[in-house]
Amino acid sequence: MFKNINNRIILKNIAEMLTIGLVVLFLVPLFLVLINAAKTNNEIIQTPLSLPTDWSILWKNITNIWSNPNLRYSQALVNSTVITVFSLLGITIFSAMAAWVLLRTKTKTSMAIFMLFVAAMVIPFQVVMFPLVKWFGIFQSFTGIQMLRSYTGIIIAYIGFGSSLSIFMFHGFMKSIPHEIEEAAYMDGCGKFKTFFLIVLPILKPIYVTILILNGIWIWNDFLLPMLVLGKGTPVQTLPLAVNNFAGAFLVSWDLMMTAILMALVPIIVFFLMAQKHIIKGMVEGSVK
Amino acid sequence: MSKFIETFKKMGNDSLNQDKRNQKIVFWLFLFPSLFSFAMVQIIPFAIGIYYSFTNWSATAQFSIDFVGLKNYFDAFQDPAFLYATIITSVYTILNIMLVNVIAFSLALLVTSQLKGRNIYRAGFFLPNIIGGIILGYIWQFIFNYFVPRIAAMAGFTYLAENLMLGNSNTAILAMVIVSTWQSAGYIMMIYVAALQNVPRDLIEAAQIDGANAWQRFRNITVPMVSQAFTVTLFLTLVNSFKQFDVNVSLTNGGPSTMFMGRAIKGTTLLAMNISDTSTISLNTAQAQAKAIIFFLVLVTFSLIQVYISKKREVEL
Amino acid sequence: MKKILTIISMLLVVLSLTACAPKQEEQVVITFKQNKPEIDEALQAYAAAYEEATGVKVNVVSCGGGSCTLGDMLKADYAAGEMPDIFPIDGPDSYKQWEAIIADLSGEKWVSDTSVEYVVDGKVVGFPVAVEGWGMAYNADLLKKAGIDPSTLNNYQAYVDAFVKLDGMKAELGIDSVVSMAAGPGMYWVTAHHNFNSLLSNGVSYGDLSVANKFLAGNIDQTRLNDYANWVSLLFKYADKTVLTTGNYDSQVGAFLNQKAVFLHQGNWVDGNLTAATFDMAFAPHGSSTAVTDGIFVSAPAWYVVNKDSKNYQAALDFLNNLVYTELGQKYMVEDAGMIPAFVNIELKPKGKLSQSVQSWTADGKVYSWNQYLFAGEFRDNVLGPIYDQLAQGAVSVDKFVELFKTALTDNAK
Repeated sequence: MFKNINNRIILKNIAEMLTIGLVVLFLVPLFLVLINAAKTNNEIIQTPLSLPTDWSILWKNITNIWSNPNLRYSQALVNSTVITVFSLLGITIFSAMAAWVLLRTKTKTSMAIFMLFVAAMVIPFQVVMFPLVKWFGIFQSFTGIQMLRSYTGIIIAYIGFGSSLSIFMFHGFMKSIPHEIEEAAYMDGCGKFKTFFLIVLPILKPIYVTILILNGIWIWNDFLLPMLVLGKGTPVQTLPLAVNNFAGAFLVSWDLMMTAILMALVPIIVFFLMAQKHIIKGMVEGSVK
Repeated sequence: MSKFIETFKKMGNDSLNQDKRNQKIVFWLFLFPSLFSFAMVQIIPFAIGIYYSFTNWSATAQFSIDFVGLKNYFDAFQDPAFLYATIITSVYTILNIMLVNVIAFSLALLVTSQLKGRNIYRAGFFLPNIIGGIILGYIWQFIFNYFVPRIAAMAGFTYLAENLMLGNSNTAILAMVIVSTWQSAGYIMMIYVAALQNVPRDLIEAAQIDGANAWQRFRNITVPMVSQAFTVTLFLTLVNSFKQFDVNVSLTNGGPSTMFMGRAIKGTTLLAMNISDTSTISLNTAQAQAKAIIFFLVLVTFSLIQVYISKKREVEL
Repeated sequence: MKKILTIISMLLVVLSLTACAPKQEEQVVITFKQNKPEIDEALQAYAAAYEEATGVKVNVVSCGGGSCTLGDMLKADYAAGEMPDIFPIDGPDSYKQWEAIIADLSGEKWVSDTSVEYVVDGKVVGFPVAVEGWGMAYNADLLKKAGIDPSTLNNYQAYVDAFVKLDGMKAELGIDSVVSMAAGPGMYWVTAHHNFNSLLSNGVSYGDLSVANKFLAGNIDQTRLNDYANWVSLLFKYADKTVLTTGNYDSQVGAFLNQKAVFLHQGNWVDGNLTAATFDMAFAPHGSSTAVTDGIFVSAPAWYVVNKDSKNYQAALDFLNNLVYTELGQKYMVEDAGMIPAFVNIELKPKGKLSQSVQSWTADGKVYSWNQYLFAGEFRDNVLGPIYDQLAQGAVSVDKFVELFKTALTDNAK
């Protein structure tokens, strides 16, 4: 029955419709965020489901957020970008390096260290929250390297917290790279560094980009770690820190919060769509041969 | 002659040792950046945290920090809310693991097939992962408290039309499962997608030529190839479900109350939230540390077992 | 090789950024943290004006509401060795947390101009942030339409009669429910903190802790408890079920704002949410007793304390004094932040109608104290809150509610 071409086309169309339906269903809450960003606060509370009457309110909110001197939004945007980019580079490259040597070295130490990284994913953040701040303070007074309220501290923190998951995932996917490829490289006279960066890493592109995206989302939207390490109201602020005051103790500026979320969403969507094509170009052809 | 052979052997050994030494250097060099950062923010603070769990540390201005031995641990085990949280978190975790993985895998299959808009669909399923915090709570509370009853009334589901899901602790847990599945399905889907992209096309083509139909190809090629992704996703969903905090706080706030062991307690406070409440509401930060370490030990045991079993079933190329 | 160079140069860039830590200037800087982000803008403006006037820079940080918990932030500050100079406490629980570093402010000028300062063991340690009060907020226009005189609403029976009458007029008045009340998760502070206080302090003269202490000791006044339970049950019966069981702050206050409810169980802090209201409103007493209880609950909600190890101790003290005795400070507190001033020398009045109602009850001396702080926050949030919730869900009867309440109180006394 499936061999009939007409049936296959009908099945494909049904699948397409189904997927579109699912996507729409998934995006309903986001749609609610969008329409509510273009309403006044009262309208949001009274009629969250209604379509906005005046879309220009959205523009007003955006300019309000962008130009508000208390928020310093553009500065926070730069800070968030710098921190996210450097943290991502650190996490992905260093984790890939670590995962590779942990995988290829079959010693007890290597297995123990790998298990240590994996086990750390289970640690609830509450346990390390305050000791972390205290330790950073002690470290910086002993070594003079500014850890708190600086880029260094927050980036090292992200690399530290992101490495467990990333190493775990790289480790899992690196197994599918046959030894023959690496051995061939050694035969050709490549040292370890060259083999890793020129042969292994390119093969891992799909999972590498996936790990970039997964870590990127978390870092971009993170509030708690920057609040602890960078501090609120200090010179270096990230976007979530900057827009946090929209949520008051009694009065919540829902309109500004929704708008702020949309503004933070744009770079993520752009990044995601750009990164997509690197995931698609898999290792399907060529490398195995 | 024997001296020649000996020197020759030694030269060979030396180069072997040199090689070993080089390997060791590369090992530690490649490992160092991750290990250093990891030690700085996880190992050392965790060790400090373990120390604090044996004291009366409060993280606030104390006159002195005193050693109390295992008191915090004993108290933790006797706290009914902690016991309840353990039970309810286990239930939530089992439901969540099943739902998230089934949906994420199905979505991954859909978006790696030949559908036209698959890039956009991929983005669409993944976007929910971006929404969190009080906005997530606000939107979904509205959906459950106003949207769902109205739709249920129109469709004739009287139970849902008259009873709010968030108004009863049992259905509120289901609501949490739904919301966290919505939030993380796309995330897990991305991992399955990466794995599915790894399936070598020539293997599939060869099987097609050999006459295997779609289901056989799926079962005998795709599924084993994806099994290593499965270890990762199973582990992630297990750990993330057990650690669930964000959706818990923003959606149900610890939940409507329920009766447990003869008293009224908050009905959907999962473990992570119970630990946090022990610190911020009960003002017993040291006991929160003890609870967190118990939590860690329990979960680490479960997940290491899970990883071990999964890795055994994996197919290595 | 190229990749290694990239990594190394990246690390160098990162390390060099650490050299960009801002230098310490000679200017005096004090750090002031508080937990109402909605007044952050007004506070920042005041800090800027303050700096111009005195040369002292005030670092204002607001943390509260949604994802930021001031308690956690203070703990992190303490761990980092950067405790702020001025920060708020909200009662005995938070006082005990920071006792070791809280300064004695008994000698300050403003102490003599207020009656709600925070006193521990005879010493004044807390500067009252504002005066706040709650009772049953009512929509004066709707009550007039229904022919009910709010001045009669000061005992249980009066409320029963009023609620029954209003409930019968729902369509005519255009309301969904008589009372806008919340008892669900996230709103336990409405029931277990505020409503609970009626049991402890309604009808008791201001500052008299005898009734509250009896309950604290497990000595249960059964009549008082039964009357109170009837009052709670009455409020729940005439409340909108959705708002009661699962509503959040916005939906509870929103119902009152949009005239979907005649009464609102909240305090004058909702003035900020009711700026768009088109009707007249004021407070009436709670009806938790069969006897007449003609007063509303008024006190300070939080107190600023000064870090006694502060590097700029005098500047911090000056800042607090200036709030009370300069025009700039008074204008900020009352007009920009919308608070009722806790100091008798300040003559400005806030714009909010409910705030003005609180002031009028206070001027008449018809006030009862806030005694809920006698009970630990943990007890109120984790033990009492769920009990109210069970009643709200309809999962327990009023008798069972009383039984659970009594058990909770007696267990707490042990």
